[in-house]
Amino acid sequence: MNLEVLIEGWFFKVVLTVLVSFIGVFLGLLYKGFDRKITAMMQSRIGPPWIQPFRDVKKLFMKETIIPDTAIPWLFNAAPIVALVAPLIALAYLPLGPFGPIMEGYGGLILLLYLLAIPAVAMAFGGLASGSPYATVGSQRELVLMMSYELPLAITAVALAFNYETFSIATISSEPVWNSVGMMGGIGFALILAALFAVMPGELSKVPFDQAEAETELAGGLFVEYSGRNLGIFYIAEVVKMVVVGAFLIALFFPYNLSSLYSFGGPEINGMMLWNVIVDTAFFLFKLLIIIYVAVSVIRVGFARFQINKASYFYWVPMTIISLLGMLLVVVGGAA
Amino acid sequence: MDEKDGEETTYEVPIGPIHPALKEPFLIKFKLDGEEIVDADPHPGMNHRGIEFMGMHRNPVKVIPLSERICGICSIVHQHMYTTAVEHAVDIVPTNRARYIRTIMMELERIHSHVLWAGVAAHEIGFDTHLHFTWKIREKVMDLLEKISGNRVNYSMWTFGGVRRDITEDMHPDIDETLDYYLDLYDKLEDIFLGDPSIRHRTKNIGILTEEDAMKLCGVGPTVRASGVKKDVRIDQPYAAYGDLDIDYVIPSRYDYEDVGDVFSKTLVRLKEVVQSINIIRQCVEKMPEGEITSEPNMAALLNKLKSAEGEGVGRIEAPRGEAMHYVRLVEDNEDVDCWKVRASTYNNLATYAPMFLGEQIADIPIIAASIDPCIGCMDRAEIVDVNTGEKEEYTDEELHELSVQKTERMLGGIDE
Amino acid sequence: MPTTTIYTLIKQLLTKKATNPFPVKYTPDNMHAAAELIEKGEVEINPPVEIPENYRGKIKYDKECCIGCKLCVRVCPSEALIFKEDESKVKHYVSRCTFCGQCVDICPQDCFEFTDEFLVAGLDKESEDLVINP
Repeated sequence: MNLEVLIEGWFFKVVLTVLVSFIGVFLGLLYKGFDRKITAMMQSRIGPPWIQPFRDVKKLFMKETIIPDTAIPWLFNAAPIVALVAPLIALAYLPLGPFGPIMEGYGGLILLLYLLAIPAVAMAFGGLASGSPYATVGSQRELVLMMSYELPLAITAVALAFNYETFSIATISSEPVWNSVGMMGGIGFALILAALFAVMPGELSKVPFDQAEAETELAGGLFVEYSGRNLGIFYIAEVVKMVVVGAFLIALFFPYNLSSLYSFGGPEINGMMLWNVIVDTAFFLFKLLIIIYVAVSVIRVGFARFQINKASYFYWVPMTIISLLGMLLVVVGGAA
Repeated sequence: MDEKDGEETTYEVPIGPIHPALKEPFLIKFKLDGEEIVDADPHPGMNHRGIEFMGMHRNPVKVIPLSERICGICSIVHQHMYTTAVEHAVDIVPTNRARYIRTIMMELERIHSHVLWAGVAAHEIGFDTHLHFTWKIREKVMDLLEKISGNRVNYSMWTFGGVRRDITEDMHPDIDETLDYYLDLYDKLEDIFLGDPSIRHRTKNIGILTEEDAMKLCGVGPTVRASGVKKDVRIDQPYAAYGDLDIDYVIPSRYDYEDVGDVFSKTLVRLKEVVQSINIIRQCVEKMPEGEITSEPNMAALLNKLKSAEGEGVGRIEAPRGEAMHYVRLVEDNEDVDCWKVRASTYNNLATYAPMFLGEQIADIPIIAASIDPCIGCMDRAEIVDVNTGEKEEYTDEELHELSVQKTERMLGGIDE
Repeated sequence: MPTTTIYTLIKQLLTKKATNPFPVKYTPDNMHAAAELIEKGEVEINPPVEIPENYRGKIKYDKECCIGCKLCVRVCPSEALIFKEDESKVKHYVSRCTFCGQCVDICPQDCFEFTDEFLVAGLDKESEDLVINP
C-alpha cells in the first residue's frame, strides 16, 4: 500500500466522521422534538413545535456560562465535552441504515459498550465537580444506576458475540440475529431484547430512571449548577446518545433493509444503487422513530419515577435474571 | 459533611426556600445518611405577606374579597371563615337558603382541591401524565364554579348574612352533569392512584403517621383521618348546612383498607372525599329550602351597622386540608377590623412532618411533603421583625411561653379593670 | 402493568387535545409584530373559551347616573375607585380592580355593570383603556 492511498483513506474517514457527527446532532434534536411533541399529545396537550429543541440549544449557547465558586473549573468544564464526544465517536462505529460503520475494523461491541458508559461517568464527574449537595446526590445516583444497568448490557454483548463468534458490529448487523438461531435461541434473544429495552431509559436518564436529575427531588440533580454553553453541550450530548442507543439497538436486533427484499434501482454510485440508499435511509430513520417512541416516549409518560434502590434492584435482579436466562437459551439453542 | 466517631457520615441538604418539590417558599433542613433521612427540621416563615395587617386597615366589608386571597385554592374556605367570624361577632344569622348554597360551594371547592392535590402528588413522584390528566378533569368543576359565581378562582360569593349569587333551578342540570362526570371518572381515578403499580410502589408504606403520633401532634384533616383518627369539623361541630345532612367520617377502615397513615391512605381518603362531596352536594340540591339568599339585602345599611359594631367572633371550618379557624374582633370606635387572626390547617399539619420523614429516602421527600397538602400561603403570616434594626428574630419555646403568659396576665388585668 | 394509564395515553393521543390554543397555537417569533398584525386584523386568532353568563369582567361605569354617594368607594377592597371631589364622580383604575363586584351590588343607582371583557392586560396602566373616567 503506498503512502498516498493511506493518507487519502484517513482523510476520507475524518471528513465522514465529522459529517456523521453533525447529522447525529441534527437527528438527535429532531427526534427530541418528536419525543416532546408525541409525549405532549399523549398527555392531551398541544406541546411545543418540532423545532423547539433547536431553539433551546440556540438559547442555551447565547446565555452566560456560570462556574460556581465551589466548583473545580477544569473538571466542571471538561465534563460536558467528554459527555458529547463519546457518543459522537460511537456513531462512527455504528452502521447507520445502508452505510456500514466508518471505523470498521478498528473496534467492535466492547468498545461501543465503553463509549456508551463514558457520558454517564462524565456527567457524574461534572456533578461532583460542581460542589453542590444536590449535584453530589445526583452523581452518586447516576453512578449507582450505571453500575446497575451495565450488567444486562454486558450480557447482551456476550450473548451476541457467542452467537456470531465475533465482536465486530458490522458482522453482527450484516445478518439479522433472528435468522441465525433456532426457536430456543430466538426466545433467548427476545428476552435479551426486552432487557435491552428496559436498559434504554436508564441509559438515557429518562423517567422512570431519571433519579440523577429528578426535578422534583434534586432540582435537576447533577445539572443543577450547569448553565449556558455547558448545559447546551449536555443537552446535545443527551440527544446524540438517544440516537446512538437507538442505532445500537437497530444494528444488533433489527438490521433489516428494504432493498434486500426489492431493489429500487437507480444510478449506481460507489457500488450502491441511489434509490436503494434513499429508501433504506428512510427506513432506518423510521425504525429509529419507532424505537424512540416505544423505549423513550411511552415509558416516560407511562411510569412514575422509581426510588433509586428500587431502580437498582430492578436492573440487578429481574433484568439480570431475564438477560442471563436469554443468554442460557442462546447458548443451549446454539449448541443443539 | 461532618464525621462522627470517624465512622458515621451525615450531610445536610436544604430543601427550600425555593425548590421544585415545594410549590411555595418553605424551608426544611434535612440531615442525610446516604439516601436516608436521619433528621428533618422545618423552618416556616418564608412567605410573610402581611395580609392580616392589611385587613386590619380596612372595614369589614372590604376584607371579604381580601380574605379569599389568602390562598389560591381554598378561596371559599377563608371567605367562609372570615364571614362567619364577623357574623358571630355582630349576631347576624344567615338565611337557610344561603346556608345550603354555601355548603354546595364549599363542597365543590373540596372536589377541586382534592383533584388538584392528586395531580400535584403525581407530579412529585415524576408522573406528569397524571398531573395533566387530573388537572384536565379539574377544569370541569372550575367551569361550574365560574358559572355559579362568575369567576374561576376568586368567587366573591359571600356576604354577611348570606351569599350574593343564587343557585337557581336552571343551574341544577349543570351541577348534576358535573357530578355525574366525576362519578363516571372516579373508577378511573381510583384505578390510577390506588391501582397503578408504579404509583403504589411510591406511596405504600411511605411517610407513615401512626394514630398515636397523629393525636399527639394535633394534625387535622385528611392527614390524620388517613391514620384512622375520627376528626372532622363538619360532623363534630356542624356549621352551614352540615347539621341537616347525612355524612360520616372518611377513614380507610370504612372501605376495607387498613388505617396505616401512609401516603397511600392519604390518597385514598382524599379520593373517597370526592365521592362524599358529590353525595353532599346531591343532598343539598335536593333539600334546598326556598327563601332569600341573604338576611342583609341592603348593603349600605349593613355597612353602617358594622361601623359601630362591637364584639369578637370565631369562624371554624373543615377545609379540604383540615380544620382551620379565623378570629375577628370589632370595636366600637374603630371602623376597621380591629383584630384578625387566621390559623390555617397547614400550621397544625406541619408538626406531623417530623415522624413522617424519619427513615425515608430523599426520593420520598417531595411526595411526603405534598402528602399533607401544604399551603404555605395560608399558613405563613407571622414573622417577628425588630422594626428599628430590621433584624429578624426567632424566639425559643420558653421565651414564647413567657410572652404568652405575660400577654394573658395583661389581658386578664384589662378585663378586671 | 399500568393498563389504565396506557389505555388513557393512547386514547388521548388520538382524541382532541384539552388545551385551547387561544390566541395562537405556538408562540410567534416576534410577539410585538404578531400583536400588531392581530390588531390590524391580518391574522386570525383562535377564539377563547366561551364565557359563561353573569361573568365578572371589566366593569362599565355610567357617569351620567352617578349621584356621588361614595358608597362604592367605601366597599372597594383594592382602592380601585377614587372619588373626584371637583365633579363629584368616581375614577376607576381597571389595573387595580379585583372584579369582586361589591360596587355593583351596593350602588343605589345601578351605575356599575359587569361586561364580558376579560382582556384587560396592557403595557401602560394609565392608558385610556385601563382608567375609566380619568
